[in-house]
Amino acid sequence: MAIRELKVCLLGDTGVGKSSIVCRFVQDHFDHNISPTIGASFMTKTVPCGNELHKFLIWDTAGQERFHSLAPMYYRGSAAAVIVYDITKQDSFHTLKKWVKELKEHGPENIVVAIAGNKCDLSDIREVSMKDAREYADSIGAIVVETSAKNAINVEELFRGISRRIPPLEPHQNGSNGAMKLGRQTSQTTNRCC
Amino acid sequence: MAADLPAEFDVVILGTGLPESIVAAACSRIGQRVLHLDSRNYYGGNWASFTFSGLQSWIDEYKQREATTDEPVTNKEQILENEGIIPLNQRDRTIRNIETFSFSKSEDSNIVEEIGALSIKPELLNTNPTDGDQPLQESPAPEQPELQEPQSESVEHQETTSESDQIPGANIAPNSEGGSTTDAEPNAAKVCQTESRKSITYSDIVREGRRFNIDLVSKFLYSRGLLIDLLIKSNVSRYTEFKNVTRILTYHNGRIEQVPCSRADVFSSKQLSMIEKRTLMKFLTFCADYEQHPEEYQDYKDSAFLDFLQSKRLTPSLQHFVLCSIAMVSKNTNTVDGLKATQHFLRCLGRYGNTPFLFHMYGLGEIPQCFCRMSAVFGGIYCLHHSLQCLVIDEDSKQCKAVIDSSGKRISCNYVLVEDSYLSEVTCAQVQYRQISRAILITDCSVLKSESDQEISVLTVPSEDGRQNAVYMTELCSSTNTCMKNTYLVHLSCPSVKATAREDLEPVIQKLFTLDADGGE
Repeated sequence: MAIRELKVCLLGDTGVGKSSIVCRFVQDHFDHNISPTIGASFMTKTVPCGNELHKFLIWDTAGQERFHSLAPMYYRGSAAAVIVYDITKQDSFHTLKKWVKELKEHGPENIVVAIAGNKCDLSDIREVSMKDAREYADSIGAIVVETSAKNAINVEELFRGISRRIPPLEPHQNGSNGAMKLGRQTSQTTNRCC
Repeated sequence: MAADLPAEFDVVILGTGLPESIVAAACSRIGQRVLHLDSRNYYGGNWASFTFSGLQSWIDEYKQREATTDEPVTNKEQILENEGIIPLNQRDRTIRNIETFSFSKSEDSNIVEEIGALSIKPELLNTNPTDGDQPLQESPAPEQPELQEPQSESVEHQETTSESDQIPGANIAPNSEGGSTTDAEPNAAKVCQTESRKSITYSDIVREGRRFNIDLVSKFLYSRGLLIDLLIKSNVSRYTEFKNVTRILTYHNGRIEQVPCSRADVFSSKQLSMIEKRTLMKFLTFCADYEQHPEEYQDYKDSAFLDFLQSKRLTPSLQHFVLCSIAMVSKNTNTVDGLKATQHFLRCLGRYGNTPFLFHMYGLGEIPQCFCRMSAVFGGIYCLHHSLQCLVIDEDSKQCKAVIDSSGKRISCNYVLVEDSYLSEVTCAQVQYRQISRAILITDCSVLKSESDQEISVLTVPSEDGRQNAVYMTELCSSTNTCMKNTYLVHLSCPSVKATAREDLEPVIQKLFTLDADGGE
């Protein structure tokens, strides 16, 4: 099966649970005292989708969203974006729109947008209704699910939904644009120039 | 919002250009608490790259700032008794004399909106020259030994032309007298493309504006060197992608030619005679490990590289190729330096492709951002659109112990790194600056057509009298993600000689490009 690398960038206000969602998805683990994201550039997880394997490279904001200082490079080449809000904080739902705007400005075309209303285990102190979220998501053609990273609710579904939205590669495409990553093990063997 | 900033850091860094960003990443990586600020609302400072509308806003902002004067604002309340301050500039005057031109037909002057962008200011280019007579403003902070020369006098030539009815698909054509228009028949697919594309208008460029990533400073990288090593070693290379430059061109005998540099190129070259091929191969083989054969160049150690090339019986064409496009040195360069440069070129060849140079996808402006991300991943705190009013100096130790940020908050720190453009004229009185003249063009035709319309080319144009410095040009195709389909983004630069970049570069642009607005083809 062909492996396709898909970059997914996470967006949303500080403290809505972006890292927790990734942590749940990748490591099936939840930490109450997760400190604002340190040390991991991106996490990966491979899931089957049809006759392809989707290797998600999930990029975290690394805290750069805190003072509205995300760099355009963060969005480059993303196949999908997950925008997270906290269902117990109306404000975090309001700022969704700001993130969508950011994406439109800096994100690639045809990016799959998924909205995750996190902390759905706390629905007794909910401030954002599912109906509002669905209406907004429909208006921008996004996937929407309510998740709980803590109780492992809908996190897998979120990424499965993204997988389904990723158009399969055409037979003649190899998914590469001719660009290369610089690596440690570059071949020295190629015959020296002249 | 910025009130939430912690009041204590180990290192405060102002400016998000490449040197500052590398330092930020390095400090965070070893566990220092880093605060990284930039007064602008974008990353990179003068290393930034912009979309088309982004560039226009930047130009407007620059012009506005050129017209105003700023007074250092200082919040004295925060300063203790035995402390002094060093006020910082609130604006940057590194770049001067910006001019823009559009050679697009007038029918495009109606208002167009960039697709996907949410705020855009459509406006016509063609502004008047604004020659500022300001004194130089910036100096490298002592902490930044590797800082590049500031680039001033940047001319933005933005040329876009509409096609005239008679000549399909050739708007800014390479000069016909150059003989380079004898391009091979393009294949069928490309013919279709050419026909359907009709012409690129100014409106098209505005509409597709977000496909542009226009570097203020265009550079390409040797595929071996400290920066490449650093990118790999630090893992920053994981964030980012490169493309190999595909062609090395030179301007020789009034036309643009491709420089054969690899073994395969040399053998397949049609411009070189058999004897030339053999001479060039032999010479390059020698250069690859010239240190092993000191007897070959001993006598020319103290003379010019050009004399040495002549002594090796290189024909004038070969001399030109080696001097201008392989070693990329001037006529007065010393033999050993020339050999060193040639060797470096050869060593970089073949590492990633057929030329020794790499170009960064989405433009050079990505590299500082990648280092910033590395810093953030290791705990660095980022705050754009936030600056410092001044540095607080302890009178006794003469060390900087704190800074006052633009909101008036005092932040204590052990180290401060400030990009030189933030330092005042007084602070930098001792520093000498070199000026670089730059031009950026958007064209709809390559300077040298080839089978592929996706070439990344580097071109050297030596000065006519040989006394001035050569003009270096990079032509980027759309697959580098720096410009829209069917256009090329061209950067030209040379050390400044005349008063403005326009005077320095216009003659070369006239030599290489045809502008529809001139009434010609």
